[in-house]
Amino acid sequence: MIATSKLKNILLPLVIIASGFAATTSLDGYLKRAIPELPADYADGDPTFDIAKMRGFTLGLDGLIADWYWMRSLQYLGGKIAAKEGFINIDDLREFNLRLLYPYLNSATDLDPQFMAAYSFGAIVLPAIDAEKAIAIAKKGIANNPADWQLYQHLGYIYWKLKRYDEASETYEQGSLVTGAPPFMKMMSAAMKTEGGSRNNARAIYRQMLESTDENIQNTAALRLKQIAALDEIEAINNALVKFKETSGRCTDVLSEIHPQLAKITLPDAHDFRINKANQLVDPTDAPYLFDVNTCAVQLDPKKTGIPFR
Amino acid sequence: MIKSLEDILFVALAIVGMIQHIFVIAKNAFREAVRDRILYNLIVFVLLITAAAVLLGDLTAGQESHVIINLGLSAILIFGVFIAIFVGVSLVWKEIEKKTVYSIFSKPIGRGEFIVGKYLGLCVTLFVNVLVMGAGLTLALLYVGGGKFVGGVWAAVLLIFFELTIMTAVAIMFSSFSTPALSALLTFLIFVIGHFSYSMLELATALGSRTATFVFTAVYYLLPNLSNFSFISNTANGQIAPLAMLVGALIYAVAFNLILISITIMVFSRRNFK
Repeated sequence: MIATSKLKNILLPLVIIASGFAATTSLDGYLKRAIPELPADYADGDPTFDIAKMRGFTLGLDGLIADWYWMRSLQYLGGKIAAKEGFINIDDLREFNLRLLYPYLNSATDLDPQFMAAYSFGAIVLPAIDAEKAIAIAKKGIANNPADWQLYQHLGYIYWKLKRYDEASETYEQGSLVTGAPPFMKMMSAAMKTEGGSRNNARAIYRQMLESTDENIQNTAALRLKQIAALDEIEAINNALVKFKETSGRCTDVLSEIHPQLAKITLPDAHDFRINKANQLVDPTDAPYLFDVNTCAVQLDPKKTGIPFR
Repeated sequence: MIKSLEDILFVALAIVGMIQHIFVIAKNAFREAVRDRILYNLIVFVLLITAAAVLLGDLTAGQESHVIINLGLSAILIFGVFIAIFVGVSLVWKEIEKKTVYSIFSKPIGRGEFIVGKYLGLCVTLFVNVLVMGAGLTLALLYVGGGKFVGGVWAAVLLIFFELTIMTAVAIMFSSFSTPALSALLTFLIFVIGHFSYSMLELATALGSRTATFVFTAVYYLLPNLSNFSFISNTANGQIAPLAMLVGALIYAVAFNLILISITIMVFSRRNFK
């Protein structure tokens, strides 16, 4: 009787539990295969809500929903870039079909018109996708926050990237009139008119952006400054190679032969050429320059450099 | 031979008797839920979905069907989970607290039959709930011209019901040895972990931590993986859960329910009501 009771109350449930776990463990893999994937264009589906009309229906959670849109925009861009193999041209991201980035940022700033990070991010990234949308979001930022000089700087930056120097100058000028704007704004207004697309101008813009508190802007500015430094270095190295060829009648076999000449050159921002332990000239991301004896010129090594990609 | 036949008849009668007992307890559990006005949540759901169908047109940038499916199926899941948790944890506890359990067990009713009956009674309540809510969602969809999504919606409703049966079993299991408040909290945690466990396992694997991978693998297989029943986004995007998935999910739910109910019966059988 006791044996029957034990069988019924302990052994039987234990057998059921063990068999159940065996079944669920093997079924789990089956279910993973049976569940269909979401459509490939799921991430690019049209936005569901017209957020501008949603204000007032958010139960006071405007800020939270704005944050959600902001994070979604970062994940949307990051996800597409992370999925891409090989080089990414940060000046032209149209191949990624980032059609929802503007709606996300627009929604975030509709819900939170003082969301500076969203305006900054839009100003930095959108020019590589849709310049007019970039201008639209920067102008929206200025309209919502006319006392913030940094938004004028963002708009000026977009115009400068588009080589619309007169509009850039005008925007920097307007920004310089805002209380608290640094002298840089006035200076840039003048510089845009005189030397528009010069490398010095670019350097000044990115140095100013480096002082931003926004990490995205800082990272972009740091990368751009490295890019400009690399362009300066390549120009100087190639000039030195030309001079070497003129004097010796041949191109050098190894770059180390022109190291002494390079040591005498003062680069535009006064930094020095850098040589690694293997005695190779390296770019600002520590990747050795690629030297082609046939063309007698150096260039960035696309396989190793962090410039101007990623 | 005759003795064997007698044995068979005895076992058959015992099984029939057990089924009758379970049926009576289940019927009463369902009646109790109706008396407790559990089904009033349907009014809230109908109001919510009607308001959504009528008002969302202007707010959804032409995506009414998409929003109504997401909103409706999410509401069915959330309403169902709350019913499973709050009714599930009090089903057994109420009988003990009101001492009615003594009169039940003074009759020839086993503790296992009692647990299974209570569980099935709540499952029927939830089934009626999801059925009515599914019908409300269908009408709302038809109102906004989303008739092509109806098939997918019903497949997703079925998956939600499977998930709710597991949540009910979890709630009853915790209530067999714990207080209602703690049982509700623990059941809700299982609901959350059950939906996160696959992502956490993936994260642990990506991080390369052996300890984390071991822990999350254990969590993944020991607790119900509720992401196996998640099909709301897919449905909103026009997909219909394939038959293979529905059958797999059904077997998975049945297997996990058997595990949980067996644990509950084991614990409840040892419980002293004095």
